Amino acid sequence: MPDNDLPTDEPVLRLDRVGLSYGPESDVLADVSLSLRPGSMTFLTGPSGAGKSTLLRLAYLALRPTAGRISLFGVDTTRLRRRDLAPLRRRIGVVFQEFRLLEHLSAYDNVALPLRIMGRQESSYRQDVADLLGWVGLGDRLDARPATLSGGEKQRVAIARAVVGKPDLLIADEPTGNVDEEMGDRLYRLFRELNRRLKTTVLIATHDLALVRRAKTDVLRLADGMVVRVPHAEPQDAQP
Amino acid sequence: MSRAAPLLPREDAREAALFFVVCALCFLAAFSGLVARAAYAAADAWTSEVAGEITIRVRGPEAHAQRAIDIIAKTPGIASAHVLTREESEELLKPWLGAAGIPAGLQLPRLIAAEGAAGAGDAVAAALAQANIDATVDDHETWAADAKRATDTIGLVALSAVILLGATGVAVIAFATHATLLARRDIVELLHLSGAKDDFIAGLFERRFLMLGVQAGALGALLAFGAAAFILFAVRQADEQAWLLPQLSLSLADGLILGLSPLVAGAASMLAANVTVKRSLSDMV
Repeated sequence: MPDNDLPTDEPVLRLDRVGLSYGPESDVLADVSLSLRPGSMTFLTGPSGAGKSTLLRLAYLALRPTAGRISLFGVDTTRLRRRDLAPLRRRIGVVFQEFRLLEHLSAYDNVALPLRIMGRQESSYRQDVADLLGWVGLGDRLDARPATLSGGEKQRVAIARAVVGKPDLLIADEPTGNVDEEMGDRLYRLFRELNRRLKTTVLIATHDLALVRRAKTDVLRLADGMVVRVPHAEPQDAQP
Repeated sequence: MSRAAPLLPREDAREAALFFVVCALCFLAAFSGLVARAAYAAADAWTSEVAGEITIRVRGPEAHAQRAIDIIAKTPGIASAHVLTREESEELLKPWLGAAGIPAGLQLPRLIAAEGAAGAGDAVAAALAQANIDATVDDHETWAADAKRATDTIGLVALSAVILLGATGVAVIAFATHATLLARRDIVELLHLSGAKDDFIAGLFERRFLMLGVQAGALGALLAFGAAAFILFAVRQADEQAWLLPQLSLSLADGLILGLSPLVAGAASMLAANVTVKRSLSDMV
């Protein structure tokens, strides 16, 4: 189980009137507010260039907002010192759009990376990592380097790496963008299982309209620098 | 089966080039250090060789020489004194007149060699002047002071070279670390976003560059010792006056210079890596 020490009603992630701009005339995000309750699973959709990836980068603390406030696990991150952000980052699992696998490491070592950062001994996680790679269908590719993996296999390694530490918040940027429909469903079920069994809060940015429709879960739409909640039945224009 | 692979890729061509540069810098620094140490040692050897020795040249009749030696022997601070024989004078002049010796009819200056405490030369000169004996007293202090000044200058130049090479080494390592960091920015960013603290990330680079610095420093120090030994051996084979040259030995000081070189190189490499990595990380959120 994740170390979810939040009060049950405290949002895992909360953005209050968040803005990000790189100059007076270049607002990437204008006035974004959203809140993810613990154990929720949410899709973030919106047209290309709307700022979905930027919003996710703000959420996993790769960027600081130029306006507004971001709270993670009940902590106002905008007031934290830089060094105090690392413990929060360890509670977040991230599936990056471009995978970000380390080319010199095997699939096994890539997945084990967050556990090594946490200071775990290799003997304590060896079996867990192997099992997880088996779960995503890569049980026979433990020693494979990323260069020898297909796009879909890389995606699955990246997902395994994001969930191996049983994070309190899982953020995925287009996690099914490089896999076929069958694998997309399989990955979705993986996220769903993590969400249901471990109560991990999940935020997924995606263009995959079909996936969003099948999921029947919370959907947020980002457009014109604003976020709106979309009814389950009509995920609107999660355009490619 | 242990699967925990190094988080940084194994060394690449950039690090091989850095190894060579650090090795060369350590070679030059250790060599300069050995030269500085040897120069100081030579100065000490030269001055201690002549310390307390006084040479008196007596002019005038033969009887003055005998009177002079009586006066010198009684002068406070003088331990011994004797008139140099013709053979001893010939030995002294041999470097200038050659092994054939001095022509039989040639008059030699009457020289007295004395040994005594520091400053006794002045007392001898005063006593001889009081006895109206025309003599020149040389206690070699001027020569020793000149020699010491010269070797001090050599030592200072060598020491400056060591400091300059050390600073250059740190700058080169910092530059190389920065280049490595840029090349590995993907790894650094991923570790950072995965919750690794700055110390954890810096530690990876510190360990890598510590080992590089120690190994390159050790090789550089070994080459410096080999070079110094070879040069002195070659000079000694070619020149009878090689005793004047600085003495290379495996003394404690030489051992310290050679032993410290890899440690200093390693520590400098580690420090440069730490500062560079942390400065670069501070640009990230």
